[in-house]
Amino acid sequence: MSAKALRITMIALTVIGLGVASYLTYIHYAGIKPVCTAGGSCLKVQSSIYSELAGVPVALIGLIGYVAILASLLAPEGETTRFATAAFTVPGFGFSAYLTYRELFSIHAICEWCVSSAAIMTVLMCLSIWRFLRGDGTSKGASPPARTDESRPAPPLTAARS
Amino acid sequence: MCKSCLMSTAEGDEEDLTRKQRREQARAQRKQLEEAEAASAVRRKRLSQLGIVTAVVVVVIVVILVATGGGGGTKKVVSGTKAANETVATVNSLIGGIPEHENVLGNPKAPVTLQYFGDLECPICKEFTLGALPALLQSEVRTGKVKIEYLSLETATREPEVFKTQQVAALAAGKQSKMWYFVELFYHEQGEEDSGYVTENYLQNLAQQVPGLNLTKWTTDRNDEALANQVANDAQTASNQGFTGTPSFLLSKGGGAPQKLEAGTYTEAAPYEAAIEKLLKS
Repeated sequence: MSAKALRITMIALTVIGLGVASYLTYIHYAGIKPVCTAGGSCLKVQSSIYSELAGVPVALIGLIGYVAILASLLAPEGETTRFATAAFTVPGFGFSAYLTYRELFSIHAICEWCVSSAAIMTVLMCLSIWRFLRGDGTSKGASPPARTDESRPAPPLTAARS
Repeated sequence: MCKSCLMSTAEGDEEDLTRKQRREQARAQRKQLEEAEAASAVRRKRLSQLGIVTAVVVVVIVVILVATGGGGGTKKVVSGTKAANETVATVNSLIGGIPEHENVLGNPKAPVTLQYFGDLECPICKEFTLGALPALLQSEVRTGKVKIEYLSLETATREPEVFKTQQVAALAAGKQSKMWYFVELFYHEQGEEDSGYVTENYLQNLAQQVPGLNLTKWTTDRNDEALANQVANDAQTASNQGFTGTPSFLLSKGGGAPQKLEAGTYTEAAPYEAAIEKLLKS
């Protein structure tokens, strides 16, 4: 996969995640029922005590996370921005995992919106780590400069002869 | 020029050529090695950066888990303590003076009946009971327009046996017209869902907080088979209506057919009041 294709795929996924998080933030503040195929599960999750963290709706935390990921993806590609994307998606994945744990073991209800966001975040994290580790792209100053022959003392001739 | 000298010159040239080739080979190898070392160093650096991020995230998640671990529950309120007295006073201010009979709260002659399907362990029922209900009690029940009937539907409680025991315990208080005190106290002191907090001790402690409840009679009434059957009948009624979640509501006027009430909120009384007023005018 080319660097460009990878970046476009990640941007597309982030935009979908941003849409999901925006919807969940909207229904949280509007106090309306989320559209849900699993009966009242979404409402149960959305109105549970775990829908807020220190008074901040988790949907809003997700929204901020997606905005940060999108910003890092839209910024000119380089070592720093690739690292930033990974540094945003890893906590995003961790937070999604925590919320899924709460859904399964504390609330006993699954909200499909939350699950879709968690799945998107998981894929984004895998792609961003892969992208960061392979380090391709347009940056030239990403790798530490390799020493040239001129700057390196010549090895002893005997070594070359051996 | 001697023959041996010519030979040694040729050998020298050959040796020079081989030396050059060897140097070039060595240089290429060195370059390859340096590039591999540089790539490896970059990879190590990136991995360590990711490792630091991951470690920080793990620590933060563990802190959140620990901080919110018991967040769902209310600390057990022991009968007779200051906290218990405050809760009883709150419940008293909500339903004190409203007529009660078995599982019905409100004037028995009230034209409208609101059937409330709940599970005592359900956190959303708690949200409704502490959210929208107090205003409803004030505007619709105290004024004699509505009576509220509490019916049982198992949702949040995991063990059917525990569900039956806790709901029957509430109905047994209803035999002394104190069921709504029991129900209100249960929701006010509700523990963390699925934490196994509903024990015999918990129910006894709750019953002790119900003002004027004869505990001996309550204990005897809990064995009444009719109450267990009532819980089963409530589940059947809910199933006939297609209810799978709690709280769920039915609204009816006189002997009319009950209608489902979906207010879309559990904290605001206005949509419930509007539906009741509409039914009263019909």
